[in-house]
Amino acid sequence: MINGTVVDLSRVQFAATALYHFLFVPLTLGLSFLLAAMETVYVTTGKPIYKQMAQFWGKLFMINFALGVATGLTMEFQFGTNWSFYSSFVGDIFGAPLAIEGLMAFFMESTFVGLMVFGWERLSKGQHLAATWLVAFGSNLSALWILVANGFMQDPVGATFDPFTMRMQLTSFQKLIFSPDVQSKFVHTSIAGYVTAAVFVTGVSAFYLLRKRHVPLAKRSLRMAALFGVLATIGVITLGDALGFVAARVQPTKLAAMEGLWKAQAAPMPFNLIAFPSQTEQKNDGVVQVPDLLSLLVTHSLDRTVLGVDALERQARRRIEQGIPAVQALRVLARDPTNAAALAKFTAHRRDLGYGFLLQRYAPDLSQATPAQVRAAARDTIPPVAAVFWSFRVMVGLGLLMLAFFVLAALYSLHNTVQNKRWFLKVAVWMIPVPFLANECGWLVAELGRQPWTVFDVLPTWMSASTHSVAYMVFSLIGFLGLYSIFIVIELYLLVRAIRLGPAEPGGAGEGRTVPAAAHGGKAEG
Amino acid sequence: MRTFLYFLLFMFLAGVITILAAILGDEGAWYFAWLIGTAMLVLVSAAGGALLDAQEASAAAAGREQS
Repeated sequence: MINGTVVDLSRVQFAATALYHFLFVPLTLGLSFLLAAMETVYVTTGKPIYKQMAQFWGKLFMINFALGVATGLTMEFQFGTNWSFYSSFVGDIFGAPLAIEGLMAFFMESTFVGLMVFGWERLSKGQHLAATWLVAFGSNLSALWILVANGFMQDPVGATFDPFTMRMQLTSFQKLIFSPDVQSKFVHTSIAGYVTAAVFVTGVSAFYLLRKRHVPLAKRSLRMAALFGVLATIGVITLGDALGFVAARVQPTKLAAMEGLWKAQAAPMPFNLIAFPSQTEQKNDGVVQVPDLLSLLVTHSLDRTVLGVDALERQARRRIEQGIPAVQALRVLARDPTNAAALAKFTAHRRDLGYGFLLQRYAPDLSQATPAQVRAAARDTIPPVAAVFWSFRVMVGLGLLMLAFFVLAALYSLHNTVQNKRWFLKVAVWMIPVPFLANECGWLVAELGRQPWTVFDVLPTWMSASTHSVAYMVFSLIGFLGLYSIFIVIELYLLVRAIRLGPAEPGGAGEGRTVPAAAHGGKAEG
Repeated sequence: MRTFLYFLLFMFLAGVITILAAILGDEGAWYFAWLIGTAMLVLVSAAGGALLDAQEASAAAAGREQS
């Protein structure tokens, strides 16, 4: 059996690298489309200030893109090094979208990003605009394939376990990519990236307006980002609702953890606005509730309910009992693949195989499993409630804060008075870290809420890791944390430096100097 | 000729979108919503920039008239 500390360290290492990587990715996803919007205005109006905007924000995009790629590459290797059983068990399915991501989306993105950066003087306006749009689509297609792989871990459709090869095999690529979880997760994540980029552009533009530097560029950037942001935030909230609706059906334990729902309640269920969940006592302290809201949010009705932790644990106990014969039959088939009785037994219980694996952690010899061990395994099926509950609330709270921020930004900008609202400009600068924090919380809700599974209902986390030593894991974890912290410092240094220098002036002269509004002439000012 | 080529390009895009909508249908409604939504976000954002240009031009013209 794999050492529990090694499994925990493998989880911490993957979480740390993913959380670092996810600081860079959303900005790339969103900024690429904002660049496309700015360049589209440049090509359609011919005003040089939009070219200057596209080039300036493009420089910041490139800094972020380069470090995002650097932090992302190692994650794919971790599947092989730290999660070898997982990779062997589901590699046939999981590997396909990752390979498509590399061959299609990443190559497309990487090829056209070169044309976007170096092609300003070499391509026609239309060709360059096409390259920018293709970078934007490539970046987001890259996210799509990663999230198809992740969606399989959340809702494993389109695949079946083969008892002869002892691996999951793909049965329907269509089901895999059109899974409701994958669709809503991709759109939610992609648009969360748009919101991140919009807050970033608004914040940096506000910084320039506060210092009265690059005012025409800052006002236009802020206007475009505010409108982009307000619509994107509405979209991200809508898709968040869709994800919750999907979770109620495919991952009820995650939903129960998100809502701190220990016991089923009669409809319409109240929403726990604030609560301090206790996993050991299975109850909430200090609860502040909003009547009826939970039923409305997760069932879109006032007369339906969802299961609480108590009912889900009872369900898990039944499935664990059903999973015992599946694992026992699998062991027989491993020795004798022609054993028809074992195959029939396996086929009858295959749906609960993963639950049998869960019990193995407590009872390596399943024929000797006690009711107490079954109860312990059933209790494991509930994710860490307090962490999921609060990550979810922080994410939602920050999402609503950003919606209010963008509505105000759009109003002030549309009235063309934003440059006079110094308090708002200061708030906008301080808002820059907010979407990054919300994104990290979203990742925690999605991945902590999936526990104790790597592939939901199919493969438990405890048996997915590699058999490394604790020392190896500690050493590599320290290495990753050190290296990635350096990456963050480099990113911040380069971004702050580029922002302080400011945009290059049209014609390439005098980078960083203040440009009076009049210098853009009639064209720039319309 | 140039207009005709643009016409062909936009007809091609309209055809692709129609086929995409038909194929995605019920199965991939969120993907279709993403495509349409992203295009709308970019266009609204771009229109916002152009609107600011018009607002500033109008304000500048009003200033010239007063002086």
